[in-house]
Amino acid sequence: MDTGLFRPESVAEALALLARLPDAKLISGGASLVAMINARLADPAALVSLAGIGELKQIAAAPGGGFRIGAMARHRDLAAESRFSGTLAVLQMAAAQIANSTVRNMGTIGGAVAHADPGLDYPPALVAADASIEIAAAGGRRQVPAGEFFVDWFTTALQPGEMVSAVHLPAARPGIGLYHKFARVSGDYATVSVALTLVREGRAISTRAAIGGCGPTPLMVAEANRLLSGDPTAENLRRAGELLQAAADPVDDVRGSAEYRRMLIPRMLARAFDEARLRAGAAR
Amino acid sequence: MRIEGNFDIAASRDAVYRHITDPGLMARCVPGCESIEQVSPTGYRAKVTISVGGIKARFNLVVEVTREQPPGLVLSQTRGEEGSRASVLSADNELTLVELDPLTTRVSYASEVSVTGRLGKFALGVMKKKVGAMGMEFADRLREHIQTQAVPPSQAPGSAA
Amino acid sequence: MSDTLHVTIKVNDRSVALDVPLTETLLTSLRDRLQLTGAKRGCNQGVCGACTVMLDGVAVRACLSLTANCEGQSVLTIEGAGADRAIAALQDAFIEAGALQCGFCTPGQLIAARALLEQNPDPSVEDVQKGMSGNLCRCTGYNKIIDAVRTAAGKLQA
Repeated sequence: MDTGLFRPESVAEALALLARLPDAKLISGGASLVAMINARLADPAALVSLAGIGELKQIAAAPGGGFRIGAMARHRDLAAESRFSGTLAVLQMAAAQIANSTVRNMGTIGGAVAHADPGLDYPPALVAADASIEIAAAGGRRQVPAGEFFVDWFTTALQPGEMVSAVHLPAARPGIGLYHKFARVSGDYATVSVALTLVREGRAISTRAAIGGCGPTPLMVAEANRLLSGDPTAENLRRAGELLQAAADPVDDVRGSAEYRRMLIPRMLARAFDEARLRAGAAR
Repeated sequence: MRIEGNFDIAASRDAVYRHITDPGLMARCVPGCESIEQVSPTGYRAKVTISVGGIKARFNLVVEVTREQPPGLVLSQTRGEEGSRASVLSADNELTLVELDPLTTRVSYASEVSVTGRLGKFALGVMKKKVGAMGMEFADRLREHIQTQAVPPSQAPGSAA
Repeated sequence: MSDTLHVTIKVNDRSVALDVPLTETLLTSLRDRLQLTGAKRGCNQGVCGACTVMLDGVAVRACLSLTANCEGQSVLTIEGAGADRAIAALQDAFIEAGALQCGFCTPGQLIAARALLEQNPDPSVEDVQKGMSGNLCRCTGYNKIIDAVRTAAGKLQA
C-alpha cells in the first residue's frame, strides 16, 4: 500500500517507510505541513506521522550539561521550559514568541526546523545558542551545527529519506540569552528578529548574534561577533550592525520591504545588545 | 514585482543579439527550462520549472515578441500558468544590448512580473529571490556559451598553436 | 478516485466513524460531514483562530488538523460545550459585555478563552491579550472580549 497515513512506532520504522514511499511526507505537529496543503503548495499521497514515536517527544538533560530535545517537542513545552537558563534562555524566548498559544499547542521544533521557513523564530535562536540538529538516516545518526543545517530558502541539509530526530543544545553558559522579534502584529512571522547570547568572562564578554528574517538562512557574521565581544565600544556596536546589514539578503514582501528590513537590523541589534549587556551586569 | 539586472559579455553586439534570439540556446541557458518551441515568427512556447524548497512549480509559458530592434532591443510578453492554473504569471520584458566596445556588450534585462494564485499569495518574496537568482544563472550560462564559442578554433585549448 | 481512510473519532462525546481523504482537515469534516458549523473557516492557515476547537483537552486549529491523523481522539466543539461551566459563564459574559457583533469569531473566542482560564483562572488584561492573541475579531475592537473573559473568570472563581 503506497497511500494513506502510517504511524510508525520507532525512528527506524519511520525511515524504512520513507525509503519505501519516496513521495510520502513526514507529519509531526502539522502546523506547517497542513497549512501548505491548504494553500495548495503540497499534496502528499502518503503521510508518515511521528506522533507515536516516544523518543521524539522527550526533552532530556544531557550528561555534562546541555539538552537533547526530541523533534516532536511542542513549542508550548519549550516556551515553558524553565531549565533553559543562562544563554539557553534564547531558545525558550524564541519558542514563547511563536504565533499564539493555540498554534504552540500543535507545532513542534522538528517540524519547524525541517520546514526552514526563513521567518521562523527557532533558526536564529539555534544559531545563537550554538545548537546542533540531529539527523536520522538509514545508515545512522549525525549532528549538524545549526549554522550549517539551514542551507537556502526552505532548504536544509536533510537528504531525501532523512529526518530530524532531535535538536541538541550545548551546556548553558552563565550569561544572557534573549530573542527580540519585530512583527507587524503579535503572532505574525518575524519581519526581522535578533537572537543573542552574551557570556561574561571576567571583565570581558563573549557575544553571538544571529539575525532572522533577513535572508535565506539565519545571519551570523564572525567579525560582528568579534566586535561585540571583549570590551565593545559604541563604535564597535555600530560597525557590527553595518556588517550584518551588508550581509543581509532580505525578501521584499508584505511583512516589509528589503530596504526596511535592512534598516531595522542595526537598530534591533543595538537594542538587544544593550539590554543583554545591562542584564549581564556588564554595562559600559 | 520587478526583476532587473545586467551583465557584460566579451563578444560583439551583433554576436550577442544572434545568440539571444536563438530559441535552442535560450532553452539551455534559462535555468529550469525543459523546452522552448517556436510556434510563430514572433511566438514561443516554453516549459520552465521553478523550485523552492520542496515545491516544484512547472510553468507552461507563452512568449510573444512584441518589438524587435536589432541589434539593440527586444520587447516581449510572457503569459503562463502552473499546476492547472494554481498560479498564473504574466510578465512584460525588456532586453537591451549596449556596445561597450566592439568586443564587449552589456546585456540589460528588466521584467515587470505579476504572479497570482498559490505562489503569488504565499511565496512571492521568495519567488522574487529565486527568479533573481535564475537571472544571474542565465547570465553565467549565456556568457560562458558565447565566450567559449567566440574563441576561434585555432586558439582553442588543445589545438595546434 | 482518491482513496479514503476509515477514521473513528469522538465528537462532543459521541463516537463517529468517517471515511475521509488523507488530506481532509478536521474543520472540513466537522462542518461538511457532521454539520457542526460553529467552527469557522476564516483563513485556513491557522492564523485567525475562528476554527479553534478542543482536541483531547487541548485547544487546536481544526484547519491545521488532519481528520485521518485524529484516530481515537476526542474533539469538543462549541456545539458540545453548552453544559460546560466555564463556557456557560463566558457565553453570559460575552452577551452582557457586547463582546460579539457578527459572531463569526465567537465560537473560536469562547473555546480559546476556556482554554486560557483553565491555565490561568485569574488573568490580567495583559494575560488575556497575550493568551488570546490567536483569535482575531474584525468587529469589536477586542476590549469587550477582554472584559467578558475577565468577568467570566471572576464569576467562575466566586
